[in-house]
Amino acid sequence: MITAKVIVVIALAAAVTSTVFAVAGQSFVGLFASAQNAELKKHIIGGHTAGYGLYETSGDVLDPVNNYNNVSGEVVIDPDKYLRTFDYGRVSKLPDGTTLREYTLVADDRQTAEISPGVFYNVWTFNGTIPGPTLRATEGDLMRINFINNGTRPHSIHTHGIHKADMDGVFETINPHGRYVYEFRAEAFGVYPYHCHVTPLEEHISHGLYGVYIVDPKTPRPPADEMVMIMNGFDTDFDAENNYYAVNTIPYYYMHHPIEIEQGKLVRIYLVNMLEFDPINNFHLHGNLYQLYRSGTNMTPDEYTDMVTMSQGERAILEFNYKYPGQYMFHAHKTEFAEKGWVGLFLVKDHAQTSSDIGNSNSNSSSISYPQTTTISARDVGN
Amino acid sequence: MEKDKKIHRSSSSRSSSLQPRWFATAKMVAVALIPVVILAAMIAFIFGPGHQFLGVGTPIPEISIERIEFQEGGKIVAFIRNTGPIDVTVAQADVNDRIQQAAIEPEKELQRLAEARVIIPFPWNKGEPYDVGVTSSEGTRFSKHVDAAAPAPTPNVEHAAFFGLIGVYVGIIPVLAGLLWLPFIRKLRAGMYRFFLSLTAGLLVFLGIDALVEGNEIAADSVAGVFNGQILIALVTILSFLALMYTSTKLGERSKGGSRSEEVQQQQEGERAAAELPSYDSLHASQAKTIDQQRPRPVVKPVAIALMISIGIGLHNFGEGLAIGASVVLGQITLSTFLVVGFMLHNTTEGFAIVSPLAKAKVNRLLGKMIIMGLIAGVPIIFGTWIGGFIYSPVAAIIFLSIGAGAIFQVVFLIYRGMAETEGERGKIMSNASIIAGFATGMLIMYITGLIIPS
Repeated sequence: MITAKVIVVIALAAAVTSTVFAVAGQSFVGLFASAQNAELKKHIIGGHTAGYGLYETSGDVLDPVNNYNNVSGEVVIDPDKYLRTFDYGRVSKLPDGTTLREYTLVADDRQTAEISPGVFYNVWTFNGTIPGPTLRATEGDLMRINFINNGTRPHSIHTHGIHKADMDGVFETINPHGRYVYEFRAEAFGVYPYHCHVTPLEEHISHGLYGVYIVDPKTPRPPADEMVMIMNGFDTDFDAENNYYAVNTIPYYYMHHPIEIEQGKLVRIYLVNMLEFDPINNFHLHGNLYQLYRSGTNMTPDEYTDMVTMSQGERAILEFNYKYPGQYMFHAHKTEFAEKGWVGLFLVKDHAQTSSDIGNSNSNSSSISYPQTTTISARDVGN
Repeated sequence: MEKDKKIHRSSSSRSSSLQPRWFATAKMVAVALIPVVILAAMIAFIFGPGHQFLGVGTPIPEISIERIEFQEGGKIVAFIRNTGPIDVTVAQADVNDRIQQAAIEPEKELQRLAEARVIIPFPWNKGEPYDVGVTSSEGTRFSKHVDAAAPAPTPNVEHAAFFGLIGVYVGIIPVLAGLLWLPFIRKLRAGMYRFFLSLTAGLLVFLGIDALVEGNEIAADSVAGVFNGQILIALVTILSFLALMYTSTKLGERSKGGSRSEEVQQQQEGERAAAELPSYDSLHASQAKTIDQQRPRPVVKPVAIALMISIGIGLHNFGEGLAIGASVVLGQITLSTFLVVGFMLHNTTEGFAIVSPLAKAKVNRLLGKMIIMGLIAGVPIIFGTWIGGFIYSPVAAIIFLSIGAGAIFQVVFLIYRGMAETEGERGKIMSNASIIAGFATGMLIMYITGLIIPS
């Protein structure tokens, strides 16, 4: 009888221990499998600049600077798409002839998405992306933003610009599953940020609840290759310092995906600084100077420069065209930011028509003379 | 009670005669296994169906950078280990918090306690401080600071010879030089001899504390919390102390029982010596005869004590060599003449520590034994520098330092036990001025010579 008991106990023990080993062993099997895979791949890193050693590895490559292949597909934004996409809203006419533009912004704070190759972060988004969509209207239009809070915390939309107190998104915080309609007249033309204004404010902004809206002047600006750039960053380890810097969220994105522009053609950048934690940010353009319209609220340029420094919330319109084809860098001239991702490239395409007259391209480069007829009075259309 | 036990024992022996012997063994094993089985079942439950109930709290990933190598030709190599409670994926590498292109081998996914090498091509400058970091997929950055970048010594003849030369300078020569104090010690009178013997103890205690502090620093700086570095130090120190204690006691017992005639002869010698000068060993032996005649106590011969001191110092010097080698790698020190001179002065006292117990003993072929003991104490520093310089491991470093500390404390214990028994009354040694003064002087000498070593 005792023999039987002992056998049962031993059998039980064997069963349990073998199960434990089987569970633990699975991970080891995985280890061997990956070790075998490692034999197959060989990559070369370094050697790109004199002084940087060259190294051939059978391991993995960690390279957000030159290599975007590591990205998993759960990226919080497609910077190429964001760059030139404008949301003009659902357009209708009010009885008094005013154009009504309706937009929908849905806030969420539950996602975890990639903000740099291999780095995942709890992103708080408008319409699922950081930055949120670029809303665009013309001076005098009525902008109506249907706001839905799909998140787990209260959120709001605070737009910069002229509007009524209850449209300011500060005291009317919208609870989870709540809705709110923000309505205001697009008054002073220019470029503006919008962002959540719920406290802790720094947390809500640094997690990604911001975007750009543009109010075009009634007399449109000259046609140009227009793009939006929002200077931002991420503090992924919550030490009140940014770990990553970028324009349009993904560090180094425009280094491996250069922005193609045409030689001699006017480029207009709507530039907004939404960087948290650091007091300043800046934009430096290589091989060129740009006309700088601070806040975009005037048709007369404030400066002709290659450097603009902005505090958080500041913005400007930059206009330039390239005299010579080739690759030109643009980046924060706060070098630290550049070396943590805020750097990109313009690829100036040698335009078939302009390529022949490089010799007399003076006419191209110095031709940034725009109608300067618009005055302050012209902006008060809303009233 | 005694009776019951006997009955029980006899009954069990009877049952074993009825049943096969293996059965009783198997039964015992089964009984011992029951708690293990219950525990295994619990663990299986927790990892299996119980997982959801117990998943409280967020595990925080942790990556330790154990070592950083600066290689010629523009490469920085960081040796990292996942020391957190969960698997991690390394996403990026940086130098001075600026993102850099890098490779990670064998792969970027690190299971618990798994190691990886991160190779960062970077044009580093000699002598400059660097902060090398890696960022996990959660966006948390882990970094390690290096005071001054120095090219990693590669294990070739040139570097090995260089480290060997340092070892000879700071290890072998000073220790052997210190041995030459023997004739001086021989001429000392009892009081002064006690002074110098306890001075030796003071030197050794200083070295022991130094090893513990050094080990603690390494544990705090470079050993991940998961290895419990500080507890490891205490553990290894105590184990080393106990192991050497056991060995030395066995050694004493064997010499007692083994060669009776030699022992008698030595005792006679001892008595003769005791008549003029009380060496603790000779007195100890005579005491063993007169007071403790029924149960002879183990005697540790002076040569054995000297040998154990040299082994203890050898282990200590091995740790010291690791520290020197690792410091070259970590760029914490420049091997200046001051450093070498400092270590030389410091280590000469170690030679003194070896010979002082030999002073009053008659030993055959003393010179040869002394040289061997000097080499036992000094040579490990060379191996230390090689290992520290070429394959530095912080865990190995603290283990060796702790073994050395345990050995040293054991030797100090032996010295004081010997002295206590020469005094005849244990309590008396703390009221002996020359002993206390010697101890204090020993520690002060070490402290002051230690000041010369730039850290």
